[in-house]
Amino acid sequence: MIEVKNLVKRYGDHVAVDHLSFAVDKGQILGFLGPNGAGKSTTMNIITGYMSATEGTVRVNGIDVYEEPEEVKKMIGYLPEFPPLYPDMTVLEYLRFTADIKKVDRKVKNQMITDIMEATRITGMANRLIKHLSKGYKQRVGLAQAIMGYPEVIILDEPTVGLDPKQIIEIRELIKELSKNHTIILSSHIMQEVSAVCDSVLIIDKGKLILQDKPENLSMRLGSTGGLKLSIKGNKEKVSEILGKIERITNMEVQNALEEGIVNLTVYCSENEDIREEVFYAMCKANTPILEMQSIRMSLEDIFLKVTNDPMQAQLEDDGKRDLEEDREANDTQESELTNTHKDDVEDKEAEQDASDL
Amino acid sequence: MLAIYKKELRSYFTSMIGYVFIAFFLVIIGIYFFIYNLLFGLANFEISLNSITFIFILLVPVLTMRLMSEEKKQKTDQLLLTSPLSAGSIIMGKYLAVLTIFLIVIAIISSYPLIMSLYGSVPFGSAYASIIGFALLGSAYLAMGLFISSLTESQVVAAVISFIVFLFTALMKGIASVFPSDNKTAYLVFCGVILLICIVLYRMMQNLTVSSIFGVIGIGGLTVAYKLSPTLFDGSIVKVSEWLSVISRFENFSAGILDITAVSYYLSIIFLFIFLSAQVIKKRRWS
Repeated sequence: MIEVKNLVKRYGDHVAVDHLSFAVDKGQILGFLGPNGAGKSTTMNIITGYMSATEGTVRVNGIDVYEEPEEVKKMIGYLPEFPPLYPDMTVLEYLRFTADIKKVDRKVKNQMITDIMEATRITGMANRLIKHLSKGYKQRVGLAQAIMGYPEVIILDEPTVGLDPKQIIEIRELIKELSKNHTIILSSHIMQEVSAVCDSVLIIDKGKLILQDKPENLSMRLGSTGGLKLSIKGNKEKVSEILGKIERITNMEVQNALEEGIVNLTVYCSENEDIREEVFYAMCKANTPILEMQSIRMSLEDIFLKVTNDPMQAQLEDDGKRDLEEDREANDTQESELTNTHKDDVEDKEAEQDASDL
Repeated sequence: MLAIYKKELRSYFTSMIGYVFIAFFLVIIGIYFFIYNLLFGLANFEISLNSITFIFILLVPVLTMRLMSEEKKQKTDQLLLTSPLSAGSIIMGKYLAVLTIFLIVIAIISSYPLIMSLYGSVPFGSAYASIIGFALLGSAYLAMGLFISSLTESQVVAAVISFIVFLFTALMKGIASVFPSDNKTAYLVFCGVILLICIVLYRMMQNLTVSSIFGVIGIGGLTVAYKLSPTLFDGSIVKVSEWLSVISRFENFSAGILDITAVSYYLSIIFLFIFLSAQVIKKRRWS
């Protein structure tokens, strides 16, 4: 469906996109992930024919964007980073205009506009001037514009920026709904978003492809930390003693118990080991039933940091990381342990970087 | 194209610029019409028109400054350029919209000779010839304004540059007459112009080879021509500046002559600048 080969974009000496290649199949949702300034928007601008690549080709349905831009543009709906809205138009006028420039058939135009306004929940705003709309509504009008004409490919650059949590969920639902009939590329620097909707994730950094995989595989491949969270009925000393006998456990942390007679603890082993059965039988023997057991996986955030944040790049990702850290606050507490250790890790690396700078 | 045209025309009338332009234009023409034709009783409408060609220098930048620059500022050019419209039809839509506003003015002033004819005999031929010339002159300025607007993101910059360029085209003839007409000065001046173009090219494209090749070929060509027949350059500064002097072409019209060379001159200017504006849009593709 979409085939990007060896894409390069240079601005003077600065390389925004560096030999990027990937492919998207029909009906897939591809997520572009990367810190700010990773080249996500540039790549999207090139695919949509807004700007040209320095090197490399982009083909949509086998048609080259550079050679036949008008043919390709017919197949693509695009929501850029800043929704391209005319502030002095009403929502309805604007959507009529976009339907016209996308050459939507007159007979179906009005019905399509009504449907799309319904789908993006902007029907109530139809006669408001766009400049009077809130950020969230502007974003949705922009999205409506991208869907207009139901193009085969829909490209969305950070579609949920500036929306409140409820709107974000609505937009995600809409994107999933659209993916039944459309191929979608969306970009984000928020991990949950990508893992929530995408079939395939592409992590790019400094214009380079770092890895492409399914979101669930990502956490499988990189996410195993070899840790277990346990809730065990019994007393602290006894449980620690039994677990201490298991050799493969490298580390153990006991948390404060929330209930009387129950021990909550986290045990670690080396990354490729599976100690679940061993723990189960040990506890079984000792007559201290396991109430809960959960393996700890790295969240996508951590994977993201892991792949983008080697010490060489620590400086660059400052921005992106700050965003991520905010997101991480909201992350469920299950992973807070690990995240903290990881954060320390990152800080260490940064310190190293600073030292080497000096 | 029609969608762009309608949108552009509507925006002129929702943002008041359209009304202000038409009203201001008509007020100034009205004043001259009143003084020359009504107060002094002259039957020649072309005299009034000839006196107010300066109006374009002031008013056209107001009308054209926002055409492309506003799209860039609001980032709505991303919508237009990723839609299946060609660059040519985007520019044509915009040009026709701004032309429509101007033609409303022309349509209104076309009735003035008829009004005069109520009170005596009016030379309609020369009056309407001059109105046609006036319309062409305005259309040429609009195309230039559109082009300048497509070069920048800022409306103010677009307006100021348009104003300076238009002023220059109006004063061109006077400036050129100051230059000596011998062939050596002409040769040196042209070399200077080519150098200037090279510098601008380099600034725009950041490509040293292209701009230096252009410079070498241009100056080399000039030198060869100058060595072979120096007489070719006699008085050429004045000639060239007359080509650039858009307003001076109007003189024949104001004398009541429908000058075909001037008509084709204006049509070529319009075509050239519309073409260039479309290329500026396409530039993103090949830069």
